Amino acid sequence: MGTSSKPVSKSVSSYCYQCVAGPDLMKVDVIDGVPVQIRPNGSAAAVHPAHGKVCVKAFGLIQKTNNPNRIQTPMIRSNPRKGRDQDPGFRPATWDEALDLICGKLIDTRNKGLTDESGFPRVAASFGGGGTSTVYMGTFPAFLKAWGPIDMSFGSGQGVKCYHSEHLYGEFWHRAFTVSPDTPMVELIISFGANVEASGGVCGVRRHADARDRGVKRIQVEPHLSITGACSAEWVPIRPKTDPAFMFAMLHVLLHEVERDRLDVPFLKARSASPYLVAPNGFYMRDPATRKPLVWDLKSGQAVPFDTEGTDPALDGEFVVSGVEVGPDDKTWQHEAVSCRTGFGRLVDHIAPYSPEWASGICDVPAGMIRKTALEFLEHAHVGETIEIDGCTMPFRPVAISLGKTVSNGWGGYECAWARTLMAVLIGGLEVPGGTLGTTVRLNRPADNRWSSVVPGPDGFMNYPMNPTRKGEFNETSGSRHAHTTLIPLAANSPWSQALGPTHLAWMAQKQGFAHLPDPTPPDVWFVYRTNPVISFWDTKAVGEAIAKFPFTVCFAYTMDETNHMADVLLPECTDLEGLQLIRIGGSKYVEQFWEHQGFALRDPASNPMGEARDFTWIATQLAKRVGLLEEYNTAINKGAAGVRLFGANYDFSLEPEAEHSVEEIWDSACRAASAELTDGAESQGLEYYRQHGFRTVPFPKRRWYLYPAMAEKGLRFELPYQERLLRIGQELGARLHEMGITWWDRQLREYEALPHFQDLQSLWEKAIEAQYDVKIGDYPFWLLSARSMQYSWGGNAGIQMIHEVAANVAGHGGVVMNPQAAARLGLSEGDRVEVCSPVGRTDGAVILRNGIRPDTLLMIGQFDHWKTPFAKDLKTPSMNGLVPMSLELTDATGSGADLVRVAVRKATGDAARAGK
Amino acid sequence: MTTWAIVADLNRCVGCQTCTSACKHANATAPGVQWRKVLDFETGEFPTVNRAFLPVGCMHCDEPSCLDACPSTATRKREDGIVTIDYDLCIGCAYCAVSCPYQARFRVDKPTAAYGGMPMRHEAKREDPARLGVAQKCTLCVERIDEGLANGLVPGVDMQATPACVASCISGALQMGDLDDPNSNVSTLLRTKRHFRMHEELGNGPNIYYLYDGEIDEVSTPNAVPMVAEPVGLAAVSPKRQTNWDWRAAANFICGGTGTGLLATTMAAGLFAPVLWPAVLVALAIVASGLFCIWLEIGRPWRFLNVFLNARFSWMTREAMAAVPFFGFGGLSWLLGSPVLGVLGALSGLVFLYCQGRILRAAKGIPAWRRPAIVPLILFTGLAEGAGVLAVLAFATGWSAAIGTSLAAVLLVLVGLRFVMWQRYRADLDRTGAPTGTFQAFDAMQAGLSAVPQGVVAGLVLLATLVPTGQGLLLALAGLGAAVTGWLFKHTLITKAAFTQGYAINRMPARGAGKSSPGVQPGWRKA
Repeated sequence: MGTSSKPVSKSVSSYCYQCVAGPDLMKVDVIDGVPVQIRPNGSAAAVHPAHGKVCVKAFGLIQKTNNPNRIQTPMIRSNPRKGRDQDPGFRPATWDEALDLICGKLIDTRNKGLTDESGFPRVAASFGGGGTSTVYMGTFPAFLKAWGPIDMSFGSGQGVKCYHSEHLYGEFWHRAFTVSPDTPMVELIISFGANVEASGGVCGVRRHADARDRGVKRIQVEPHLSITGACSAEWVPIRPKTDPAFMFAMLHVLLHEVERDRLDVPFLKARSASPYLVAPNGFYMRDPATRKPLVWDLKSGQAVPFDTEGTDPALDGEFVVSGVEVGPDDKTWQHEAVSCRTGFGRLVDHIAPYSPEWASGICDVPAGMIRKTALEFLEHAHVGETIEIDGCTMPFRPVAISLGKTVSNGWGGYECAWARTLMAVLIGGLEVPGGTLGTTVRLNRPADNRWSSVVPGPDGFMNYPMNPTRKGEFNETSGSRHAHTTLIPLAANSPWSQALGPTHLAWMAQKQGFAHLPDPTPPDVWFVYRTNPVISFWDTKAVGEAIAKFPFTVCFAYTMDETNHMADVLLPECTDLEGLQLIRIGGSKYVEQFWEHQGFALRDPASNPMGEARDFTWIATQLAKRVGLLEEYNTAINKGAAGVRLFGANYDFSLEPEAEHSVEEIWDSACRAASAELTDGAESQGLEYYRQHGFRTVPFPKRRWYLYPAMAEKGLRFELPYQERLLRIGQELGARLHEMGITWWDRQLREYEALPHFQDLQSLWEKAIEAQYDVKIGDYPFWLLSARSMQYSWGGNAGIQMIHEVAANVAGHGGVVMNPQAAARLGLSEGDRVEVCSPVGRTDGAVILRNGIRPDTLLMIGQFDHWKTPFAKDLKTPSMNGLVPMSLELTDATGSGADLVRVAVRKATGDAARAGK
Repeated sequence: MTTWAIVADLNRCVGCQTCTSACKHANATAPGVQWRKVLDFETGEFPTVNRAFLPVGCMHCDEPSCLDACPSTATRKREDGIVTIDYDLCIGCAYCAVSCPYQARFRVDKPTAAYGGMPMRHEAKREDPARLGVAQKCTLCVERIDEGLANGLVPGVDMQATPACVASCISGALQMGDLDDPNSNVSTLLRTKRHFRMHEELGNGPNIYYLYDGEIDEVSTPNAVPMVAEPVGLAAVSPKRQTNWDWRAAANFICGGTGTGLLATTMAAGLFAPVLWPAVLVALAIVASGLFCIWLEIGRPWRFLNVFLNARFSWMTREAMAAVPFFGFGGLSWLLGSPVLGVLGALSGLVFLYCQGRILRAAKGIPAWRRPAIVPLILFTGLAEGAGVLAVLAFATGWSAAIGTSLAAVLLVLVGLRFVMWQRYRADLDRTGAPTGTFQAFDAMQAGLSAVPQGVVAGLVLLATLVPTGQGLLLALAGLGAAVTGWLFKHTLITKAAFTQGYAINRMPARGAGKSSPGVQPGWRKA
């Protein structure tokens, strides 16, 4: 041992944002420059909603950093042929060589033009982790901004692995990219497949544990007994993908089986579109002069514009009214003395057929259970009560409904999101204490301020940045390979919109193209970071084949994996514990991150980079410099592309635009600007301050968790129950697409209903699979589902030994979860290797018997099927990703599908059987 | 006084394994070693199913069975209740591991790296050679507690002074505090919430308490935990065949019983005929072989003398101490041809054999061993094996002519008594219950102590008394049968039937407004 062997211990501040439920704050213990231990950050206990704790995934970061399987030097491909069966022949290279190669390609590309002959950006990028990659990629967003148009349409799981309908409709109705109960105050939660104890992060877990401790009741409606089901007071094992029937039946009980005054009638009248009168063609009856929707004023006995002062609008009823009706593309009907019902009245009629008895047979849930659930929802709603928060009096409605993955995406997602939000509106529980809340915005702007996005729009509702569908304004081309601004009005066109478009269409187009859309060119250059679509998407075989055809792929690579197997250049970047970055924390963020503080946190390197790995900010700076975009890059940083604007009203820490700045210079400026932003320019502490303290916050008023005060202040209404706007844009969209000759999106156009009808989703899936693959669905008797796991989800942790070790303590990991009765019928026992097949593909794994799953359902947790990633490829863990078809038929109007497929199971033979031994 | 305890609120716990990981970090445990972990339980049948998560680890018991078992005094209990291990004293015999009914102890013999091959740099930084080959378990992060107290912090309140598992727990399920302080967090919780302790009937006084329901409105003692013989999906929490003691330990019980039984029966036979002195030497050699085997098994063989350090409590120490006069008197008797010394050696051997029975009896972690009926069974099977081997030696040396009938009588009696003890033992197991695997292992024993093989042995003995011309050979065959069936039984007992206690959840917790429900002891049954 040398003389310097005495361990030098220090503790470094950092954050964990490996999943969408972060960020959370932590400490990293370092001995002799080696990070050895993760700890919660006790000094954050007073400001962090989960008391400064981090979850199991954070503890994987030590192995993740020191993993011997890491790529530690830039690598350049030597084999021009790409594919799973090809040896890429990667050879180590210097950073200069790798950057020169990439930048040469970028300069050539730029010289050809930023977009190609199809109008698509020549450069594409895919990032994983549900958008969390940005908090690890330093100033790379500034490089992308400096470059110009980037195609982000190649998805890696979004649309099928996310809460897609909730994202789009949630933002539309109540600025809710994700939706959460107001857990600290709620009394009853009805959770349709939401799995907050596995995927809600430490804040979600802590808030719900506190809620359980004070006696909250949660009813988990889900085909299998998930972690969240385990932590719930009741489990209702519903048949897969029949949740809309359950919710419609709940609506039926609320609208047809209880006295109307038990609903929040004042809220419905003042804060919803319920009283708006609907004209004969399905659009609102409007005042001819102002074109404002009319309501029937019970005081004066006449129709008046909705915002007339001193009225008492009728909630229900049919009234003879004159006015003007405005349809798609400003088509106008003049009406004289026609009979109009209120939107609420239409809703009541619409829901009439959907009784609990009707739903019972569909959901395989007793009608009494559904009715009881609806009545409990009402009983716990405390209709009429108020509460004061931060001096602001608001309704108090401690009931909420949560939706999970597969419930809130794909067909049926609209129905579920609508029914859930509508139920909250019926009892006045939307965006009020105790009720159903949005968390953050990603499609509306500004992204960091939900209240500021409450901007008045048409008809007394919030504005929404809908992609235009009116003639003359419509985008026939989208600038993205999945045509999000063409096909999906609700996807909007924010920096996040491409990632929230129909991302599988980009992959499907590479294979088959879509009639009347531009030719599906591959990108000239594709950047990939923290994502592995070759295993994480649906129909992974097809995705892999498309990627193999991309001419030039640059992967920021951690270890070898299935996607970077197809890459041309691998760049080893600093991992979570090695890179430097400042991010925003606090306020209200995804999932259950409701803070009473907001500010910034530093990710201070706990270790020097392994090998030749480089800080992402350094890489971005080098790319900008070598491509000749340094000025644009620095300007983008100055404007906030790295998370904080470097100048404000009374401070300016902008970088010199033409100079190359070091990583520390850039983040020191960011830290100074952050300090100034938090103190209105009074203070300007830099990097050193954040290194000492880790984070810095100021209070965030709790009343801003709720949108209600902002809505009330601006006199706005939630756009429910009747979806007049969606009806109109659906018809406009149909007209535009047909004008282009596009008829292959007609099925999706049917989703644009003012009041959604129930559709038999099981049958829809069955028929689509039968038609697409010419099979008999009876040969595939099981529904296969997936579930998130706290240990694995989003973290890219399949190759981390410790994560695998501890995840094994949680039943269901690593195999095919099956009901023992179903297994007995097939002669299967615990541990038997089985082959699970859909018409698309097959996977194999060991049977895990659990009573907590329906006999007609199988479950595979997480995403595996690795064939290249070190460690993970030896796990012999099944994955449903290769079994789920990418299908237009199974794509809903928001452009999402669902993690759902019919499968057959048989005892494994041959290689599959031997794999388990 | 202070008694540190952990309270786990099962209503809060989500089974996330953050505590498991934090423990691995704080204590740099090897891959696969989890001093703290959270189990996943399920009860009921579809569609009425409950699922719950149960954090487990060292219970820092009031009466730790590992403490009494430990022959080296490496395991100790501090005044504040924390059970510690002195890695420098421990011989790695793993007796504590099989004595712990909570499966909380581990032994790692070689450095292991998470990805195989060379250790990663953080693994290399934290390698602790002192922990190789010795027992290890949860320390309750004693260094954090001591350092915290020294700095005026309160364990269980201040994060730095609190065990890593508790400090990291994201749901607030784990709390740690002082049971002796009526105002502590844990005392308050236990005073106000319904709770149970795992395997409380075993009398260890475990100090992890599990909250399972709301406020206490009456003194609530959960009913007996329902056993489920073949549970669905609970393999991970069901009893498992113990792996701490393998064939080498079995060999010690086989050789210890046979050798001491041989010396005892040889000296007893000396009452009826001249002492068969070669048998004395064989007896010593057999016992020595068994001890050599166990020496091969212990993790720190060159510390074997530490086995003598806990005569006050450990039956393993007492076994070792009994071996000294056994070999001393036995060896001298052979050298000097002294029957008196031989008898003293035989008596020492019987003490040795009794200690072996008590070793198993005290191994609370193995339900098949800890029954009271195991002691006479071990005694009589040792004697029967010894008598059997004596019959073989008698035939080989021609000594059977002198002793035949007496030997036959002794053999018959011993085999008969062994059979009776076996029946008593099985009845005891049947009555109290045992891991399903234990029953299966005994039922699968083809040539053990059951009626048929023992009947054959007895038949051969009887035949030997009826057929004088072939008496020696028939007795030898009977003796061989008596010995081999005893050996097979012991091999089964120590390896195949030796299932751990497993885990149990006395009550499934009430979740929020839900209700608690009966728990489960998976992988257990009564006859």
